[in-house]
Amino acid sequence: MSDSAILKTSRLTPVGARRASLWREIFRARWAYLFVAPFFVFFALFSLYPVLFSLYLSLTEWKGLGPINFVGLDNYQRLLNDTIFRQAMLNGVLLFIMYVPLMTLLALVLAVILNSKRVRGFRIFRTIIFIPYVTNMVAAGFAFRLLLNQSDGLINQMLAVVDIPPVPWLESIAGARVSLCLLIVWAWLGYNMVLMLAGLQTIPADLTEAAQIDGANYVQSFMYITIPLMRPVLTFSIVLSTMGSFGLFTEVSILTNGGGPINATITPIVDIFNQAFVNFRLGYASAMAYVYFAFIFVLTLFQMRYLSRTEET
Amino acid sequence: MRRIVCLLLTLMLIFTLTPMLATQVNAQAKPKGDITVWMWKSDWDNVVNSKILDDFNKEYPDIKVNRVDIAAPDVYQKLPIAISAGTGAPDVSLIEDSALGRFVALGGLMDLTEQTKSYKDQIVAYKWDQVTKDGKVYGMPWDFGPVVTYYRRDIFKAAGLSDDPTEVGKLVATWDGYLATCKTILDKTKRLCFPLSKANNDDRWYEVMLWQQGLGYVSADGKVTVDSPENIATLEKLGEFFKAGVIADQQSWTDSWYALYNKADTGVASTVMAAWMGGFMRSWLAPDTKGLWGATLMPAMKDGQTRAANDGGSDFVIPDQSQNKDAAWAFVEFMLGRSTSQAKIFEATDIFPALIPTYKDPIFTEADPYFGGQVVRQLYTQVAGNIPKATIYGEHYQESNGFVSTAIQKFATGSMSAADALKEAANQIRQQTGLK
Repeated sequence: MSDSAILKTSRLTPVGARRASLWREIFRARWAYLFVAPFFVFFALFSLYPVLFSLYLSLTEWKGLGPINFVGLDNYQRLLNDTIFRQAMLNGVLLFIMYVPLMTLLALVLAVILNSKRVRGFRIFRTIIFIPYVTNMVAAGFAFRLLLNQSDGLINQMLAVVDIPPVPWLESIAGARVSLCLLIVWAWLGYNMVLMLAGLQTIPADLTEAAQIDGANYVQSFMYITIPLMRPVLTFSIVLSTMGSFGLFTEVSILTNGGGPINATITPIVDIFNQAFVNFRLGYASAMAYVYFAFIFVLTLFQMRYLSRTEET
Repeated sequence: MRRIVCLLLTLMLIFTLTPMLATQVNAQAKPKGDITVWMWKSDWDNVVNSKILDDFNKEYPDIKVNRVDIAAPDVYQKLPIAISAGTGAPDVSLIEDSALGRFVALGGLMDLTEQTKSYKDQIVAYKWDQVTKDGKVYGMPWDFGPVVTYYRRDIFKAAGLSDDPTEVGKLVATWDGYLATCKTILDKTKRLCFPLSKANNDDRWYEVMLWQQGLGYVSADGKVTVDSPENIATLEKLGEFFKAGVIADQQSWTDSWYALYNKADTGVASTVMAAWMGGFMRSWLAPDTKGLWGATLMPAMKDGQTRAANDGGSDFVIPDQSQNKDAAWAFVEFMLGRSTSQAKIFEATDIFPALIPTYKDPIFTEADPYFGGQVVRQLYTQVAGNIPKATIYGEHYQESNGFVSTAIQKFATGSMSAADALKEAANQIRQQTGLK
């Protein structure tokens, strides 16, 4: 810039100077902004706008067609008395307790075993355990449904060989929940195990060697070295599994007919879907979605704080 | 000079417009264009195999029909989204009576009052109730489901009972009589009487029992009647069957359920279902038990009461979005308004037509080898004429069915009494729908 231009700009008020240079900065970096813009445009259109519109919708009553009627906090008030939604949240908690600790532990143990390199052909095992994760969940759901049928499913037929009476896998409340957990663990164990394997790679081998030299056995080195150092990965896995246990949709739709015997397996997501797209109550469903979001947000916050206490410990 | 130019321009304008007017006049002749029709695959197969589609193409050579096979649950998911999005809806769609109420309440369907005026007397009156709202007609009725009792002749004979339809009809004249018959059959042949799920009950059986008494989920003035004394009594009657251990606990519409009809040596002895079930059994559900079945009237609640009910039924609707409403209506009218078309479909499927002139067709007097040579279609016609009005289907059917299904599940598995279960369902329906 010429000297006179510099002099001119320095005579502007401070705010004006800042504003002018801000625009100039943007202009100078215009290509960068241009390349980054598409993402933000899509984000604004497909993420930000729907989220905000949902917030507005949650205060209204709308069928998806026709007028949108403002009803204030009516939907939220009705939600307080909604027994199905309450059951759905409860089911999420129950399912979480039933499969998350088990699956995480199993994944970790399997990862440790496969990581020890002493297992021949560990790559084959890793692939086999991982394959269910890439299987189509709808197909898997139907297959499990056939296997678990009380009267002619393969599982009960095999149990009958050892004189065990037919188990109502999908025909009872407890059975349906267990069946759902079986399906989820089958499908997600591989994914979590691979996650743990990756985490295990970050544990320096000399740590475990040093511990062994000091006389620690496998269990002790597992408890006092592996688990603490795997904290971040474990946290990640558990948080994902928690959100997953509340957000099951495909599994529930296929295996337990969209909510299981007597609403034993309905999840909040299934409930929201039903309210929005079966009952055409988009306002109410939006309110439900926001309450669900708030709940998951708080829960995740607690989990992160509790599980990933700093590595100084 | 200017005036000459103006005159020339006006003449040019007239000359260019006249051909357009001429084509307008010609277009009154026959509708043409492309139409997309949504129907479930089994119905499409029947329409194509019975050559009705060929006949339609002959009569309307300028209309091209795009066939879309789509299952009913998918229709109910995709159609509302297409309607509210403003694009993607077909020109014609098949919808079951049970879902129609929701769609009429949602809006977006073409008003067919004018087009259907000439058919008012030709279609069973009860079907018009299903498709009309506030005096406007939103769908063209196709079929409905007169409910009968299907029974296995060989099992009844093995139990020492008659297998003649009239005699069996006497045995199952009431639900109590049916229960006694079931117990006899269980005693003598160890066979279960009919399939009905406990923990996965879908409420359809109970709805049939309500329908025959003219009951339903709401009263005529819109109050919830799910927990009325009559509804509770009906559920308790059904409960007697659960307690007696005569039913096969199997979820409907699963492979294991189909096997109960299809396997001659391990199947059930009977069922109470609509005419379309007979058609299904004959064509794909239970072809292996051909010749072993018979049909008679369904049981009444009490001696002398109605032995007729409806289960199911479907209609064609034309979404407002359609760009080709004339061609769409031509299709609908050809399929459903002509007794030749309806008779052909009925012959293949036992999908019972709502079009009254069809009943004169000779197939209604044919013996059906699947039912051991019985003239079942006469039975369906007899039942069809007696179906009472009931308030089962409607705007809130889907939801009500869901809550009542849960109530039946709780009752059947023994965790709640009929009264408590239905009261809970009723209150949930009231809370969700705002009805009293």
